[in-house]
Amino acid sequence: MNTEVETDPTPARSQAATASHGAGGRPTEPPRRMSARRKERLAAWLFLTPAIAYLLFAFALPIVYNVLLSFENVTPATLSHFFSPWAGFSNYSFILNDPTSREAIVRTLLFTVGSLAGQFVIGFALALLFTTTFPGRTFARSLIIVPWLVPLIVSGVIFKFLFQFQGGAINQLLMDVGLASKPIDWLDDPQISFWTILIANIWLGIPFFTMLLYSALQDIPEEIKEAAAIDGAGVWQRLRLVIIPMILPVIEVTFLLGFVFTVKVFDLVIGLTGGGPANATQLITTWSYNLSFQVFSFGEGAALNNVLLVLAMICAPIYLWLSRDSLRRSSGVAR
Amino acid sequence: MAEPGLAATQFGGGAVTLAHKKLMRKGLAMFAALIALVIVLFPVYAILVGSFETTTTLFSGNYYWLPHDPTLANYTAVFNEQTGHIVTSLIVGVGTALLALVVAVPAAYALSKYRLRVTVILVSALIIAQIVPSIVLATSLFIVFHWVHLLNTYPGLILADGTYAIPFAILVLRAFFFGLPNELLYAAKADGATEWQTFRLVVIPLGRSAIVTVAVFAFLAGWGDFIFALTVLNGSGIEPITLGIYTYLGNYSTDWGAVMAAAAVALIPAGVLLVVAQRYIASGLTAGAVKG
Repeated sequence: MNTEVETDPTPARSQAATASHGAGGRPTEPPRRMSARRKERLAAWLFLTPAIAYLLFAFALPIVYNVLLSFENVTPATLSHFFSPWAGFSNYSFILNDPTSREAIVRTLLFTVGSLAGQFVIGFALALLFTTTFPGRTFARSLIIVPWLVPLIVSGVIFKFLFQFQGGAINQLLMDVGLASKPIDWLDDPQISFWTILIANIWLGIPFFTMLLYSALQDIPEEIKEAAAIDGAGVWQRLRLVIIPMILPVIEVTFLLGFVFTVKVFDLVIGLTGGGPANATQLITTWSYNLSFQVFSFGEGAALNNVLLVLAMICAPIYLWLSRDSLRRSSGVAR
Repeated sequence: MAEPGLAATQFGGGAVTLAHKKLMRKGLAMFAALIALVIVLFPVYAILVGSFETTTTLFSGNYYWLPHDPTLANYTAVFNEQTGHIVTSLIVGVGTALLALVVAVPAAYALSKYRLRVTVILVSALIIAQIVPSIVLATSLFIVFHWVHLLNTYPGLILADGTYAIPFAILVLRAFFFGLPNELLYAAKADGATEWQTFRLVVIPLGRSAIVTVAVFAFLAGWGDFIFALTVLNGSGIEPITLGIYTYLGNYSTDWGAVMAAAAVALIPAGVLLVVAQRYIASGLTAGAVKG
């Protein structure tokens, strides 16, 4: 790990590099040849060109264009033009007055908070479990990441299958063990369906929370845990006073990334409920899709997108601050 | 309860109960892990079992926990109807991986080994890009692609799918490249290698494991993408397997056998990669979290 130390190439080395260029028969300051330094600079910019072009095309342009769309009146007739008639704030006032949009915004917040709480509790419990030694631990740990590899739409579809009213595995299990006397209408009862998407999404996030928290728990030196145990701290005290404070930075990062991931959830809900019944599971993402791609009100969809973007960007400063050490870092040979 | 091993050797009398306790705890942990695994893996199990069930079984109104009257009919149907979609998904997955490598490997090198004023801005932009929800991009890209004739094309879909993979890939590779010893880069340059030769002959071979990780993730992102397939394709011609599964979902009569078999096929790349590239996947999962 010589990354921090070698931020500056030692003078001896850069002299050696210049000397070798000199030895190669090149005059040191030819009027038409580039200096080594300029060459390095040019090379760096060439290495960066594809990425900069991509970021501009696939992120900057769509984000800016989305802002523009949100102030336009886009109809199927105007879709073939890059610009549509100006609509002022009418798309935003539509969003504010449309009950489904408003509910989708509130529901997205509840869904995010509920998912993160559930994922953290279960993921942390599993992470703690994996720090104890038991036969098959490594095997179990490698299998726990499987849900995370399943394409999201497939997860949505499979939960739709499992949550079926008739012949669904979940109703069958609940009735077999006596937790329910009659099947629960997970998918078609607007009072219940929110819990259905929440349960499915918590399931989806478990591997991520487990893995991140587990890797943090592993980094706690054994002596510290032992010292706390010898001092007579009970399990709960050790957790609250020693373990959680020690892994707090990782917990913060995990919540941050979990938040970013959860406000974006789309595939799972489309596959599971399609936003129904009666729009009872529409999130900002699914309702925005509906506005833009089902009723072709791209302006309204874009306005709702901007609400989502602002919501997601709340954590951008925190994310940047948490990454502050890596932002400026370079371990380079070049100047 | 502290140091059961120590206690057991020192105090012969307590050894039995302490060893017993330790064994109980191990057994309990194993049992808890087993329950957790069953819950976490059950949906995948249900896909596999369901994919072999007959339509009669699936519509019997009864859930069978074990295979009941297994059949291959669903797979026959899926291979008849979805082979083209599988090929499409492979093209999109490979295309996304290639795009991610071409864009990310040089950029990550420049952002880790050259001292540039633009580094802070670009790395910040990449971190922020990871936050942007795909639906925001999809809505705009639909109209932009319409305009530049990329709608319903492979390049269009791959460019859109790159948004999942590229910021992640650059940040992961950059973190990895920090660890490459500068001595090797100096040595290459001292031997007269150009910037490009140093990159191609030193950086790429040394970065192989991180490059594989990133390629695996980019492939899975392209293979598993649904939102861009749903928006920048219009359903004629190019149709990946994720979209194929979605269109199987009828409003009232879903052919669950076909859905399950198609879902099982959609799991194959992840399954293969989990077996052959497990260390890359495990490292990639945690690498995304602010590390470099």
